[in-house]
Amino acid sequence: MLFKKITSIASISVASVLLLSACNQASPKEAAPAAQVADTQTQQAAADTKNPVAEDAGKLQEEVKKLQDAISKKDAAQVKSLGKSINDTWLSFENTVRQAFPLEYTEVEKYEMPIFSASAYDKVDFESLKSNADKLHGALEQLKNAKPSTANTSEQLNKAVENYKAFVDEQADNLALQTKAFAEAVKAGDVELAKKEYTKARVYFEIIEPIAESFGDLDPKIDARLADVEDESTWTGYHRIEKALWKDKSLKGQDKYADQLIKDTEELQKQIKGLKLEPKVMVAGAIELLNEAATSKITGEEEIYSRTDLVDLAANVDGSKTVYLAIIPALNEKNPQLADQLDKQFLATEDLLRGHQKDGQYVTYDKLSTEQIRKISDQLSQLSTLMTQTASIL
Amino acid sequence: MELEPKEKQKQSVSRRDFLKLSAIAGTGITLGAAGMGAIMGIVKPESGKASALSNDRISLYGQHQAGIVTPQQTYMYLASFHLTGDDRSSVIRLFRDWTKFCDLSTAGGTMKTGDNTLLPPNDTGETLDLPAAKLTITFGLGPTFFREEGKDRFGIAAKAPRYLKDIPRMPRENLDPSLSGGDVCIQVCAEDQQVAFHAVRNLIRLSTGYATVNWMQEGFISATPGKTPRNLFGFKDGTANSEHDTSAGYDDVVWAGEGEPEWMKGGSYLAYRKIRMLLEVWDRTSLKDQEDTFGRFKESGAAYGRSGEFDAVDMSKQPGSAHVHLAKQTGQRIHRRAYSYTNGVDPRTGNVDAGLLFLSYQKNPETQFIPMLRMMQSKDKLNEYTSHVASALFACPRGLKEGQYIGQNILEG
Repeated sequence: MLFKKITSIASISVASVLLLSACNQASPKEAAPAAQVADTQTQQAAADTKNPVAEDAGKLQEEVKKLQDAISKKDAAQVKSLGKSINDTWLSFENTVRQAFPLEYTEVEKYEMPIFSASAYDKVDFESLKSNADKLHGALEQLKNAKPSTANTSEQLNKAVENYKAFVDEQADNLALQTKAFAEAVKAGDVELAKKEYTKARVYFEIIEPIAESFGDLDPKIDARLADVEDESTWTGYHRIEKALWKDKSLKGQDKYADQLIKDTEELQKQIKGLKLEPKVMVAGAIELLNEAATSKITGEEEIYSRTDLVDLAANVDGSKTVYLAIIPALNEKNPQLADQLDKQFLATEDLLRGHQKDGQYVTYDKLSTEQIRKISDQLSQLSTLMTQTASIL
Repeated sequence: MELEPKEKQKQSVSRRDFLKLSAIAGTGITLGAAGMGAIMGIVKPESGKASALSNDRISLYGQHQAGIVTPQQTYMYLASFHLTGDDRSSVIRLFRDWTKFCDLSTAGGTMKTGDNTLLPPNDTGETLDLPAAKLTITFGLGPTFFREEGKDRFGIAAKAPRYLKDIPRMPRENLDPSLSGGDVCIQVCAEDQQVAFHAVRNLIRLSTGYATVNWMQEGFISATPGKTPRNLFGFKDGTANSEHDTSAGYDDVVWAGEGEPEWMKGGSYLAYRKIRMLLEVWDRTSLKDQEDTFGRFKESGAAYGRSGEFDAVDMSKQPGSAHVHLAKQTGQRIHRRAYSYTNGVDPRTGNVDAGLLFLSYQKNPETQFIPMLRMMQSKDKLNEYTSHVASALFACPRGLKEGQYIGQNILEG
């Protein structure tokens, strides 16, 4: 059965999950501190419980060590091959980890994904790989020493929300910072640089889109498309400048929009900080993210000039996955089968999207054939249908 | 939760905005794709209502599938699916879910709304106050169900029926592959279009994760009860069905048997052609030319040289390229169950996109249908006014017993 009848509020586990997306863009700001396990309610002494994945984690760690060596030797071929084999090894036991150690799972997943993604690129970015490999090694160390949690209290969801909120706040910070970089390039009249910064900034907006959009007065100022505005002369925000960059090919007169955009995203950042999230809102937002991807992104309606719709789409999916990772402890408790299926579908979606990258950049929407678009759309609808069922943990 | 969405400042709130607001405000998470899986809580129709409307229902169960020799309902949807699962168990799961839904909806029921209001409702709801409206749901399996690109994808290739192959290329056809073929085909018919659409919509919903819909066609046909319906050229379509309208006649024409695997004995082959009709050209054609084209009088439906619709055709009176003449010449019979379609206006020409969803059922397409089609495609005078744009052949398994699911005797044992 896909969902169970819900009779009570989700119960416990003391988990603190810190979630960062598997987003391929480099963060301007470093991640907040990682998982802390406040294991106050462990019901049995964990000492005598054996860690069932210690051996696998150890093996994976060996491979990561080889990867670290290859990185230090700048051996691109070896790095790529290890990126793939590390992923295979991880996939072979990740289900067990997700069940037994959801917190450690999230940590490993966070650093493993980008390493795997990077193994497909032509050019290897040794620096960012090194940082991910080091952190993956650390995460595996934690996993080796983790104790199975038999936690069982009602704070699970609240913890998930808390951690998700930390993620959202961080993305809002990144958004403000990156938007500023974008706006500066616009004001400097540097079209090529502005185009690059634009795409980066959009990711931080799209990854938390439903939250950003909940501020009704700010959202249209920041993210309105031409089709959304009644009077073109009142049109501001990213898409106004997008048009200047890709269609008009001139940044003349864009300074005022750039300044306004800095102001508006900083205001958004401030308002998001003061926002109190609830589990329902978090889960609804995760579903809404996939709906966004499946409606405005897959149809190419979002980025009609830059054609970077896939970047936005992937960010929507990433944002939704972040929620999924946050609620794994609750899912394990209430609906472990759903967690399995979601895991499979997120993997399939990421796989499919990765196929549309070239050197780590998504191809533009106009390069996609109708069949390719349909395939992504079908995959998204499978994922969304499952994601909708996560409301069963509420 | 403290996320009070402020009144949107925009003059009008688009549907997109509205969805966002309701999701964020936590007023409901009823967005997005349907939640399926555990649909099988059901609301059976009230018993009082049931007896009053019993002639409104056509049983899902019987020796043969309903919707084949069932008198034609007014509305039809034809949907083709591509199976996405890579193992037999996912097909079984989908067919089980589909069968449960069919059992329920042909009886006039709807899926029960779950207890958790945060989940999407199980049923889409538009038939809650509607009767069964003679709903029938008929399943067919395409050649790729058994073998795709030489691969025995579900380990059932050995059970493929005898004559299941794509219809070979025909002269003058202009097929769109995206509107042709499929692993599974579902024909949904009802006297009420909303009832028919509800069924096809929920069948699509239920398929999420197991199959994707390739194409969907909708058709209509209408006639005074007891009379042969007319197609959009204004001619009667299916007059010859009356010739085999007996149980023995159906055994001769429709129901497959000899040399077929068990599951296909009592089944039938569905041949499908989507035929665009050039209405504007036809409507500028003289009555004489129109009648010469068919070999029948338009009003009465009688063949040339005869006075009644059902009088035997006199071949000596038929123009050589007339539709009826060619059909009779093959000496073969098929069971026609065609619907008309319309699909807006061709933006380049301003001509109406309309035509015929030709559906025929027969026990052996190789002898009954394909030679007839080939002859028509090469000689039929109708070709001046028509163009075949889609094609498919499906094997429709025999009927179900209560408790079985569609395709069970193919997928198990």
